[in-house]
Parts: sequence; C-alpha cells; structure tokens
Amino acid sequence: MINNMKEAARSLQNDFVQKRKKDGGKVVGYSCTFIPEEILHAAGLLPFRLRGIGTTSMSIGDSYFGAVNCSLPKCMLQLAGQGSYRFLDGAIITNGCDSMRRLEECWRKASEDYPGTLPEYYKYFAVPHKSVDYSVEFYKEELGGMMETLEQHFKVKISEDSLRKSIRLYNEGRTCLQKLDELRQNRDVPISGEDAMAVLIAAHAMPQEQFIVILKDLIEKLKKAPSLSDGKKRLMLMGSASDDMDFIRTIEEAGAIVVADTVCYGSRTYSVLVDEQSDPVHALSSHYLTHSICPRMLGYYKTRRAYVMDVIRKANVDGVILQNVRFCDLHGSENGIFERDLESAGIPCMRLEREYGPLSETGRISMRIDAFMERITDPVFPINKVMYQDPEVQQHLHSK
Amino acid sequence: MIAAGCDVGSLTTKAVILNNTRLLGHAIARSSINPEKSAAEVIEKALKAARLTFDDIGFCVGTGYGRERIEFVKKTVSEISCHAKGAHFLQPSVRTIIDIGGQDCKAIRLDAKGEIVKFITNDKCASGTGRFLEVMAKLLGLKLEELGSISSQATRPINLASTCTVWAQAEVIMHLNEDMSRADLAAGINEAMAARVAILARSVGIEKDVCMSGGVAKNTGVLEAMEKQLGVPMRRLRVDPQMMGALGAAVFAREKMGGK
Repeated sequence: MINNMKEAARSLQNDFVQKRKKDGGKVVGYSCTFIPEEILHAAGLLPFRLRGIGTTSMSIGDSYFGAVNCSLPKCMLQLAGQGSYRFLDGAIITNGCDSMRRLEECWRKASEDYPGTLPEYYKYFAVPHKSVDYSVEFYKEELGGMMETLEQHFKVKISEDSLRKSIRLYNEGRTCLQKLDELRQNRDVPISGEDAMAVLIAAHAMPQEQFIVILKDLIEKLKKAPSLSDGKKRLMLMGSASDDMDFIRTIEEAGAIVVADTVCYGSRTYSVLVDEQSDPVHALSSHYLTHSICPRMLGYYKTRRAYVMDVIRKANVDGVILQNVRFCDLHGSENGIFERDLESAGIPCMRLEREYGPLSETGRISMRIDAFMERITDPVFPINKVMYQDPEVQQHLHSK
Repeated sequence: MIAAGCDVGSLTTKAVILNNTRLLGHAIARSSINPEKSAAEVIEKALKAARLTFDDIGFCVGTGYGRERIEFVKKTVSEISCHAKGAHFLQPSVRTIIDIGGQDCKAIRLDAKGEIVKFITNDKCASGTGRFLEVMAKLLGLKLEELGSISSQATRPINLASTCTVWAQAEVIMHLNEDMSRADLAAGINEAMAARVAILARSVGIEKDVCMSGGVAKNTGVLEAMEKQLGVPMRRLRVDPQMMGALGAAVFAREKMGGK
C-alpha cells in the first residue's frame, strides 16, 4: 500500500491525478501550506501541492528569477515553463516567502514566452504575516474572494455544508497522521524517515479520501511491523521546504533514522484539528493563520521553539539537522537561532545549506552527516556502530 | 603494530604509516581521476618510505572525498573526525582546528578528550579554499608555495573587494595591469582568504589552542593573516599540516587495533 504513496510522492502526474483527470475531474495546484485544501475539496476540485521535483535543467527557472533566489520556486517555474504542469486546471500562488511570491509574476511572464503553460484559473493569494484579529479578518476576505473566483471559473457552488464535510474529512486525515507520528515517536520505530516522508507528501498529492484509506491500512500494518530503529541514532529534520526522499535516505544511510521533522512538505499541517463547530470559513482562517510553525509568521519564534522542544522530547531525538535551501532567508536565519537554543539545551545540531532539486551534492552532504553522526555517537570510540558489537571493543568500552 | 591512514582529497591524496605513536612514513600525490589508483599509489610510496610492505599493515582507515572508493581500507571515517583526531594526537591542548583543503574549509571545535563539540564547513563556493589560492598563484605566475613567502615582502597589501574566485581574479588582473608588485598582491590575496575563513571559524567559536590543518596551512601568509584576524596565535604542529587527515585516519586505525 505504501507503494501507492511512494509513487504519488515521486512523480507529478501520479496515477491518482491521472485517474481524476480521466474521470473529468479538475486539479488545482497551490504553492504553500497556507492554502486551505478544504476549500478546493469543497468545490469538488483535487488540491495538489505544487513541487519542483524531477528537474534536470534550470534553463527556464534561471531566466526569470534572480541569481540569489531560492531554487524551489525556480524548479517549479522550470516545470511550469517546460509544460509539466499542463495537467493543472488552476494554480494559486501565495506570498509564503518572497521568492515564492515572485513565482506568481515569473510564471505569468514565462507563459508569454511559453504559450499555454499558465493554468486557466491563476490566482495570487496574500497571506498576512501576523496572527491577530484583524489579520484573520483579512485572510477571511481573501478566502472569500478566492471562493468566489473558484465558483465562477469552475461553475460550482461551495456550500457551507460541503465545507463542513471537507473540514471533517481533512481532520480525519490529520488524526491519522498524528497516529503515524506516535508510531515514529515510539522506541521501536516501524517506518523509515524516507517512507514517512512519502506518506506526508502523498497527503497533498492524491484525493484525501483515498489517502485516508491507505494510511489507515498502513498504520495497522506498521503496528505489527518489526523495528527499524535498533542501534540507530534518532534524528529530527528541521528547516525549509524538503520533499526529497533521496536526501532523507542519504541521512539514514549514515546509520540514523529520521523520527520527526518540521519541514515544509513534512509534518507541518496536522498537529491541531480545525474547529468543526464554528463558521467554517472563520474556522479555516483562524486555523491556518494561528497554527502554522512557518518562520514567515512574525513574532512567534518562542511558540515554534516550544513546539520543537516538545517534539524532541516526545520522539526522544538524539540530534537535529537544521537544513535550508540556499538563499532561504526565513529558515537560514531562524536555523541559527534554533542552533543556539537547542545546543544550549544539550541537543546536538548540524546546519546544512543545500540546493533544492536533483541531489547533486551527495558527497559533500554525506561527509557532513557522517561527521555529525560521529559527533553524536557515544564518544569512546567514534568510528562506527558495527564495532560496538565487536567483543574486543565491548571490553574496551567497559574498561573505561 | 602498524596502522595506516589514507586521505583521498579533492586535490591531493595522502597516506600515513604509524607504528604505535611513531610516524614511520608518509606520502602525498596529486589526486588523479581514479581515486582507487591514487590511494594505491600513495600508500605504496608511504610504505616504501617506512621500509614496509602492504602485508605489514594491521589496520587501515580511509578518509577524504574519495574514501568510499579506496579498496584496501577496512573502515572509513569522515575527514572532520580525522582532522580532529590527528590534531589532538599531536597536541592534546588543541581546541579549535581550522582546516583549509582543496575544495572546502572547515572549523572544528574539540573538547579536552579530543571529541568533536561542534563543526562547520563552507558551502559550495571556491572562495576560502585551496583552489582559490591555486587560481591566484597561477595568475601571478608564482608556484603555490611561493604565495606565502613572497607576501612577507609586501609593503602595501591590496584590499580585495570580493573573495569570489572569479571576481577576485578580475580584480587581481586589473592590479597587475597597473604594475602593482606581486608581493602586495599576494599579501592581499592571503588576507582575503584569511578573512573569509575567519568568519567560519568565529561562527564555530574560537577556543585556544588553535591550529590550522590542510595544505593551505603551509602558506605562512595565510597563517599570519589568520592570527591577525582572530587575535590568537596559531599553534604550529610538528607534522606537515596537509597530512592531518591521513594522520587522524591512522590514529583511528591504531585505536582499532587496541592502541590507547
């Protein structure tokens, strides 16, 4: 079952998307976690989180963006310009960060040079940077505007009832993902970080109804599955957007298991459920603006730190990898603060700057991860874990 | 009890042969396109210097970018741990190591036991690496090893506006066209290099004693500029600093065989 999710996580036009299109359904892409999928779902559309996977060239991405922009929106633009997103019936771009905000203009401009690459429904959605009464009101108005344009363009009606149903459905998905987190936090971890990431990506790349069915089945299987964490260091992955399972595999190949994360595309969207009682649009506005751990939200570092410390404690984390895509000012700066605070709380951290896109820097990345693993491994004999089984080494360890 | 360490770096391959705490032989050669071959050649040379044969080696540890490709090693360790191990072996009072290699630089902080407390490496950019100095030496028509010694004759070192290898190159060419002395240019280049790496060193936190490792540590101009930048003396170690990674690997090998 997890193979379906892996397939959905590894390709853009996965089987679920193709099936939906074949059945005459519409697919709408969105760029960041601040867009409520519930609204698209209630409009009968398939929400699809935009990604930049599978790019082999940046010929288009680099032509419209500046040299010092994050490579994630560049990869998205590359895919858009080369026609890989032609299957989308709509796209919604946010100001998640400044580079992402520029994607809205760059895609529009690129579509003049590469005709037919801009989805028919194309919208910019402004998300406030604060979580206070008036910004929730602003966000609510933006949502209202988006719903109106969706209704007009796709000739649908988003009723209060359908919104409530969608909220309940997505809350069910959130509850399932929380259960998966609990399994990852156990002493015996039945799923690799690489596979868990596939599940988290699939959550936003396939119909939620099917996702929930597959995930429930997977959770039952994992409850009986053998542990994959024996003798491994438990790491947490933090920082900017990462939907690269190969990157997590590189980390895990060094003798670690990734048991938790706070990355965009990862575990950001489900720790709290949407209120099912109050007015649905208000409930969504207040939820999406209040419960985000994205550093784009101003003035909530301490809340984020408390959240991170809680996860570290629950998942019994041995070390944290603070990664960010090059030129990511939000995570680049916040990672420095996290490093200071987590290290002073006795949690070893390693900062890593990387490019989004094909994993071309594996040598450099593995060298650092190996060194980090050597740092956090019990220090008497920091060569590797195999040696701990060596009777000679065991004796040496006990003699010390 | 013969232990060996082999460090296949991006520019050079190094090997060290240890008998307990005695350095029996070492060798260095330019890395070829074939890491297996480079490693085999260098270990052969080091063994020859130590008057030993391959069968005498009890345990061999590999490190460096090409470490996974070395056929004869029994274990691989990252070069960060190896530099730390090597420096601690030579001088237990060392707490901070600044390693400048061919394609990267690292700052490593150790505790009294020689265990890594914190490390940081540069990101993909040639400024602040041995490659930067290689490009600059070539531009000045100097041998790499002359870049350090000539800078001591400088009277007014230039101030490079950019440490980007490509931009700095353009700037140096402009100064050459203005007939500026090579000593002043070399001194400016070494200072720019030290300034770039000092940023990295400061972010890991400087604690005395401080030493430098890697090929660039042989450049006295960079070494002195680094002392000036950081305001601390650089501890000179008794082994070629370029050998530090291979030495650390050999120390790991020695520990594996039960050596303390």
